[in-house]
Amino acid sequence: MTNIAAAARKRVPIFLVAAFAFLPLAEPAQAQKAGGSITVGLELDVPGFDPLKVGVYDAAALTPAAAIFDTLTYLNDKGEAQPKLALSWTHSDDFKTWTFKLRPGVKFHDGTPFNAEAYKANFDRQKDPANKCRCAFYIAAVNSVQAPDELTVVVNLNDPSVNYPTLVSYPNQNAAVHSPTAWKTKGDDYNRNPVGTGPYILKSWTAGDRMILEKNPDYWDKDKVYLDRIIMKPLPDAQSRFASLQSGEADLVWDDEYDADNIQKAQKDPKLTVHSYTGSGAQVYAFNTKTPPFDDVRVRQAMVMAIDRKKMSQAITNGLAKPASNPYGDGSWVKCKDDGALPFDVAKAKALIQEYGKPVEFKTVVTATPRGRVVGQVLQQFWKNVGASMELDQVDQATIPPRAFMRQFQLIPWRIVDLADPDPQMYANFHTGSPVALANYSNPELDKILEHARVTAETDKRIEDYCAATRLINKEAIWFWTFQNTYYAVSSANIKGLPKMYSGMIDVSRVWKE
Amino acid sequence: MVAFVARRFLYVVPVLLAVSLLTFLIASLLPGDLAYVILGDQATPEKVAALRHDMGLDQPLWWRYLSWLGHVLQGDLGRSFRTGQTVLQAVSERIPVSLELMLMAEFIGLLIGVPVAIACAARAGGAFDRFMTGSAFAMLSMPSFLVAILLIYLFAVELRWLPATGYVPFTEEPLANLRFFVLPALTLALAEWPGIMRVLRSDMIATLQEDYIALAKAKGLKPSRILFVHALKPSSLTLVTVTGINIGRLLGGTLIVESIFALPGIGRLLVGAIYTRDLVILQGVVLLVACGFVIVNFIVDMLYAVLDPRIRHGHA
Repeated sequence: MTNIAAAARKRVPIFLVAAFAFLPLAEPAQAQKAGGSITVGLELDVPGFDPLKVGVYDAAALTPAAAIFDTLTYLNDKGEAQPKLALSWTHSDDFKTWTFKLRPGVKFHDGTPFNAEAYKANFDRQKDPANKCRCAFYIAAVNSVQAPDELTVVVNLNDPSVNYPTLVSYPNQNAAVHSPTAWKTKGDDYNRNPVGTGPYILKSWTAGDRMILEKNPDYWDKDKVYLDRIIMKPLPDAQSRFASLQSGEADLVWDDEYDADNIQKAQKDPKLTVHSYTGSGAQVYAFNTKTPPFDDVRVRQAMVMAIDRKKMSQAITNGLAKPASNPYGDGSWVKCKDDGALPFDVAKAKALIQEYGKPVEFKTVVTATPRGRVVGQVLQQFWKNVGASMELDQVDQATIPPRAFMRQFQLIPWRIVDLADPDPQMYANFHTGSPVALANYSNPELDKILEHARVTAETDKRIEDYCAATRLINKEAIWFWTFQNTYYAVSSANIKGLPKMYSGMIDVSRVWKE
Repeated sequence: MVAFVARRFLYVVPVLLAVSLLTFLIASLLPGDLAYVILGDQATPEKVAALRHDMGLDQPLWWRYLSWLGHVLQGDLGRSFRTGQTVLQAVSERIPVSLELMLMAEFIGLLIGVPVAIACAARAGGAFDRFMTGSAFAMLSMPSFLVAILLIYLFAVELRWLPATGYVPFTEEPLANLRFFVLPALTLALAEWPGIMRVLRSDMIATLQEDYIALAKAKGLKPSRILFVHALKPSSLTLVTVTGINIGRLLGGTLIVESIFALPGIGRLLVGAIYTRDLVILQGVVLLVACGFVIVNFIVDMLYAVLDPRIRHGHA
């Protein structure tokens, strides 16, 4: 990993990126062609864009959001924050205050000028306890935002964040910048009539059907925006979504590894292109280390060693899912020479259970969906092979978080989402006392590593910290990781310029048609 | 006749009340507390308790039902917690799609079912009759999601005659609109026509054995005249019932078919509401749909009276 931004920061404490401000956003190899329109098939109906109403943007909402809204920064191909609505940024020595200089002359689609006040209004609206926004949870780390002048935004954090600009790089419910005039004048209707500064303007939206987005003629970076029009529509059924791509009604569709048959079919089809991106984070499970049998480290280790991830991937996704041995993933800049992963070793697992001496019987929480059951049954089989008996505890998807928060589980599935920096989630998941430190596990050594990593600027030192953390977690087997977060989109072969799908976001705002 | 309509209408009121109660109970008894759904990954016990209080979820069930019913009777079916849309807005945006789909499906179903039934009844037990009865049985046992995928594969992917998914409003592009509806309507119709055909066929066979048909034959009337004029109307009573009940079945079918063909109708709205636990939309849509069904059946009862004078005079 070559984190230029971080490397530069090592030498120059105040890092200015103004010089990059006028470089093109994407540097594609082929010649781009302007004009035309494409149709994009999303997985789900998008409920809307007002953070106060929808709370959280799901993957389907991110695709239109990336076209309608801008964010302060964006991530380049190497995962580094680059200027978008912010031209440059500096930080305080303790990494708790970040100051962003904004791009001048930017206007929202309704003509409202974009400035520091507008940015602050967005933040305040989400943070205001009176608004009871679910979205406030995700900006809990930000204490306040100030607007000292027209083009300066100061972000005050509760805790240090050395990579904060990478965390405001994609238009989720918090980072997308909305026009204050629009939400004030439209009220309840704003949710379905969003106004941003982005490259495309939402022209019409038929409920449950198509959104028509047209190129913003006044966009600040309009030379890098090629398509005249983008149509986005939900295609909820996986089979007919893929059929729509084959028959030409859609040019690009969302997909996931559970639709492995179609992805593999598309990989062999010269008329189609499969785009995939393995991000950071992973699909994970947490043991409750306070309840038997998982209060004994030998049992936890045995369970982890019994899992054959390759076979599991074959069983649930035709082999598409990529095994994970740490919580960082291929897409993270944290690369470990040794992550201390326990090997797949049935004999060793059996021996550990024998040593434990008591019968190993427990329940695993799974979602009551066909997918959840299959994954549960595969694990059940692995654990049966080493002499443990596991029962499936099938619950509704919405029941998993409260069960997790109240520690009402023995083993529970969870997810570490794809973020540009590991700190927010590693700290929350493993530091003593955090509400999502699900394993109920406390280790001063692990706490110390996590505290050090969040206030250290040098990337290589942070990598050392995070690798030490995962070695400790793997050895103690308090959580285990099954598969990496891999995202898929399938398109006609003539669709070019799709950037990496960070956080699962399919950003079609700068693609072109050959 | 007026007395008959009034009497019938009185039956409808308790039915609608029962429907509202059932709808409410089903939505309330779904696993997964709404407060947890809304709070998602920040559902700490304190926040859940506060939200439950805000939303009145800590009130007893009967009280919640009565307050919901009170609002419904004033025409306020509530607002989605996800989109801020009212139930009436959401339904009125989507009902035209589902109505068009159901009407087309029923029309295609009748278009196939009625002629086949007449042909079969005319030569009951013949080769055509046996073949069609067999095919009808096969069609009836094919689930609509399978039929849908087969049709998409054949007509959209292989032949490229029709689109696989999509929708445009009829008011914008009538022809394109119809093209989008052909496959979904055909999917539903293929499950509809067997029922229509079998009911009409057996009624026709019974009617054709009546004395007045023998008389008509003896008078030397043309067989086609006997079939279409003398036998069809008295045989179509059960058909009217079946067509009425089918509307309910079709509504069920739209849940699957609208999802597969990506039509923005009531079925999709309902599926989305179930997945996201949007209980306000769920309750509201189910209630409206159930009311629609009750009203359709009320109309069917009225049609009976038109078709059969004995019913309207109370002799049946």
